Amino acid sequence: MKRAWSVLLVFLVLVLALGFGAGNLKFAIETEPVGLDPHLITAFASHRILENVYDGLLMYDAEMNLVPALAESFEIVDPNTVVFTLRSNVTFHDGSPLTMEDVLYSFERIRDPNMGSPAASYYTEVSSIRDLGDNRLEFKLNVPMVAPLLHNLAGVNSSIVSKEFVESGANMQLQTNGTGPFQIAEYVAGDHITLQKCANFYEQGIPKLDSITFVIIPEEIGRVSALRNGDVHLAKISEPVSLNMLSANAFTIYRQPVLSYYLLGLNDQAGALADPRVRRAISMAIDREALIKMVAFGEAAVTGVMNPTVEAWAVPPSAFPEFSYNPQKAKELLEEAGYGDGFSFSITAAARYNFDKVAQVIQAQLAQVGIQANLDMVEWGIFIQKWRDIDFDSFVSMNGGSVDPDKQLYRTFHSEGSTNKFHFSNARVDELLEAGRLETNLQKQYEIYAELQYLLVEESPFIFLYSPNNLFASTLRVSGFSPMPNESLTELRVTEIQ
Amino acid sequence: MKLSFILGRLLSAIPTLLILTFLVFIALHLVPGDVVDIMLGTQNFLSEEQVQQLYSRLGLDKPLMVQYGLWLKNFFTFNLGTSLRTGEPVAKMIVEKFPVTFELALFSIVFSMLLGVPLGIFSAVKRNSKPDYVIRVLGLVGLSAPAFWIGAIFIVLVSGAFVNFTLFGFVPLFKNPGVNLQVMLFPSITLGMMVAAQIMRMSRNSMLDVLSQEYVRVARAKGLPAKKVILKHALRNALVPVVTTAGIQLGYLMGGTIVIENMFALPGMGRLLLQAVNQRDYPVVQGVVAFIGVLIVLLNILVDILYSLIDPRIELG
Amino acid sequence: MKGETRKLVKKFFHNPLNAISLCVLGLFVIVALFPGLVAPYDPLKMDGEYFMSSPVGAHWFGTDQFGRDILSRIVFGVQNSMMIAVLAVLLAAALGTFLGVIAGYFGKIVDGVIMRVVDAMFAFPALILALFIIALFGASVPNLVVAIGIVYTPIFARTMRGSTISVKQNLYVVSAKALGKSHLGVIFREILPNISSILIVTFTTNFSTALLSEASLGFLGLGVPPPTPTLGGLVGEGSRFLLAAPWIALFPGGIIALIVLSINIIGDGLRDTLDPRTGK
Repeated sequence: MKRAWSVLLVFLVLVLALGFGAGNLKFAIETEPVGLDPHLITAFASHRILENVYDGLLMYDAEMNLVPALAESFEIVDPNTVVFTLRSNVTFHDGSPLTMEDVLYSFERIRDPNMGSPAASYYTEVSSIRDLGDNRLEFKLNVPMVAPLLHNLAGVNSSIVSKEFVESGANMQLQTNGTGPFQIAEYVAGDHITLQKCANFYEQGIPKLDSITFVIIPEEIGRVSALRNGDVHLAKISEPVSLNMLSANAFTIYRQPVLSYYLLGLNDQAGALADPRVRRAISMAIDREALIKMVAFGEAAVTGVMNPTVEAWAVPPSAFPEFSYNPQKAKELLEEAGYGDGFSFSITAAARYNFDKVAQVIQAQLAQVGIQANLDMVEWGIFIQKWRDIDFDSFVSMNGGSVDPDKQLYRTFHSEGSTNKFHFSNARVDELLEAGRLETNLQKQYEIYAELQYLLVEESPFIFLYSPNNLFASTLRVSGFSPMPNESLTELRVTEIQ
Repeated sequence: MKLSFILGRLLSAIPTLLILTFLVFIALHLVPGDVVDIMLGTQNFLSEEQVQQLYSRLGLDKPLMVQYGLWLKNFFTFNLGTSLRTGEPVAKMIVEKFPVTFELALFSIVFSMLLGVPLGIFSAVKRNSKPDYVIRVLGLVGLSAPAFWIGAIFIVLVSGAFVNFTLFGFVPLFKNPGVNLQVMLFPSITLGMMVAAQIMRMSRNSMLDVLSQEYVRVARAKGLPAKKVILKHALRNALVPVVTTAGIQLGYLMGGTIVIENMFALPGMGRLLLQAVNQRDYPVVQGVVAFIGVLIVLLNILVDILYSLIDPRIELG
Repeated sequence: MKGETRKLVKKFFHNPLNAISLCVLGLFVIVALFPGLVAPYDPLKMDGEYFMSSPVGAHWFGTDQFGRDILSRIVFGVQNSMMIAVLAVLLAAALGTFLGVIAGYFGKIVDGVIMRVVDAMFAFPALILALFIIALFGASVPNLVVAIGIVYTPIFARTMRGSTISVKQNLYVVSAKALGKSHLGVIFREILPNISSILIVTFTTNFSTALLSEASLGFLGLGVPPPTPTLGGLVGEGSRFLLAAPWIALFPGGIIALIVLSINIIGDGLRDTLDPRTGK
């Protein structure tokens, strides 16, 4: 009798295991999407899901090279003009074919001032988008800035949507109809989102998985336990210390240095902070290695003005004395600036992505050189308002990074830049930024950006800290998964599970 | 008599709800950082006009009083509006989340009543004996440990000890009862521990109070058997404060499961509310608050009715 | 009168648990009053040598991710947490008893009005209230006291109202009223003494939950801002590392449990001692 039961049990387990098996990946993530309209979303959590559902004209491969997506190829005709050739065999998830009309409509929709799309500003310098016939599409620019344009085309906010679908009155924040490798099969808010393989994806044999279920588990301990229990196959790890709980012979660990970086943002008009010598002193009084050890458990790297992994453009942080810990030099600089007895300022931070922890370590480190940093811990919504209104002495936050120097630097350091919340204004910096984006000679462009990087460290409008590693862990059944430097998960399309 | 009392209470609940929703509305709008700020975050590339368009598209450019009036108007036609973030109808979101929280709160309260009331009465009857001490100290320990601390310990122990136990991954009760009960077990126990301890203490104290009352002593003096005295006379009266405690706790559980829902990844009202507050999703916060408000008001009326049923000396109204 | 007091003290200490708890609580009160004397280190001092160290000779309770001494942080945490909880519950007890007794005693319209307000407060999600107060006035100890105090007021109001109604039916109150005593007299002479044991129980129960509320607020990021240590905040910080570094959460959690345990035992002991109907 007992035997019969155990046979039945084994049978049931087998059935369950098989039912589970065949290419259905369960992926524990920490946050859920807020809205599904590719042209409106701003939340990273929405991007992460939708980049597998929608396609743009271009996309990044795992090495952050721009590669064709819905555009089969492109040709830079002159520095102001680029022509794309669309793929011909693409269909939307509802079965309708992708047409030139859909592409034109999508950019109209993005640029429509009534939409309030975050991507609208990408295309302010675009003078015309034209159908040249023969599946060819021409972008003409007012300025010779094709390179940043190409980067802007690779992102969920520049996705191509179906004109017919949008005009049928579909609620785009709730319903999706993309051309990507997966389509949303089920979404239970606060619980899970299931993506189903799209059978007629334009690339043969892609995706490899039949389905992905994103299970939303906000607590780190919950995600780690779920992975260890076998409830999920793949999990986002937010606390590097959790890796200690995952033995190497049962789990695969994925570490991906990302382009985003932590910064100590400074109000360059606030008291002592107005003096670049003081700002450089702060930079040298911060022990970044200790910071990385304490907050990121070593899973991070010191970053410079451009991320050091972007070898084509970056002047490595080791080239600057400002990025190494040197309290002696910091004190000398403070002395020179007339703050030999120290000064006090406040650091605003929210309890998010370890911002509060970074602030605590910086507070303790600055105390060593006689600078008294008072912590102003606020809720995230309040933080954003303070950031927007430049209502702070300094703050800890994270900026998204880019492999393109114009995307990385212009909006942050130009005196008119949209995310220059530092009251930073330097005529030479503006000049270099403007020259850099228009320069078409690669060597000259490199020289401009190199000079700019030295100048930006000299000025230190804010303090670059570090870029963390993005961490994931999976059971050994998962293969082919690789997170990307821009935190994108498009490689899920080539992920497999045994 | 009863019906008019209930109707009266329901009518008098209306000002309560008006005060509540108005306070929440004002509070949320006074807090710095609004839904658009949070939507755009610190990677904001929009021009000033585009931001203004966003405000007017979301209906946030109208004066506050007008916005509240509109919300109220819709509320009385049972329209809770749609989320500013996702565009989903708020009513639908609540209908989806409420069963989770309700199940959690109900399981917790059932667990705590089953554990707390008998232990409390036993403890009171066996006053100052060894079992009494043990139960009291255990109750006190249950009362003294932080809920999320207990929850975290459960997670560690369970994930270490049972390989095939589903600790995470909520499924609705009627979709897969087996998995649902597994997922709900430890959150309910975690949440119920403290309530159980509280109910145990309340039962014990109240039982002791009643046992020392005149009529019980008289009954005892009359020579009625102890068991009969306890069950027939004492228990009934002792239950009055217990019912209050349980009612109050159930109310608190409805709105107070946020920590446990976060810890065990349950898609309930608490998490919805926390998220909506963090994102300043006004219609969702308003809707959830009004819903919880209605629920608690109804619960309070129920507690009052139970009161009068248990202790007939208390008159309704 | 003196003999009476001595009798009560003797009665209280008759139970060894009461004596032990009083000692434990006394110890923590001393710790809270003079944290600097007890703590081996500065609670904010970061020590890179001992990075997330498990308990060792130099750090009895281990260190956190910044190399800060857990024991020292607990010592200062005891001070902060006890202060917040005591003040918050005192505020709630004063406000709630006032509202509850008046509502229960006078009944009718007074009761109706007060209880509607109390119901509204009850239905006010604690999180929003806390967020509101902290956002408007900034995260600080006094604001947390007010936030927790207001959240707990309706509990006292409801319980005290229930007890008052129940006591009001009793013979001695009815007779006192019939004898024409003033309302104030009846409330202070007859009602309050008879609900004081419930008040003590409610106070101790809610003192524990107030400590835990502070913990939950810390857990949700709405507590006293770091680096200031509070017991709740310490558990909240540590629960993220529970699998890897259990000591960070376990020790402060145990201390919360210990303090609350001793206070609750004392509360019970006081109740038994003060209650004129017991022990005769």
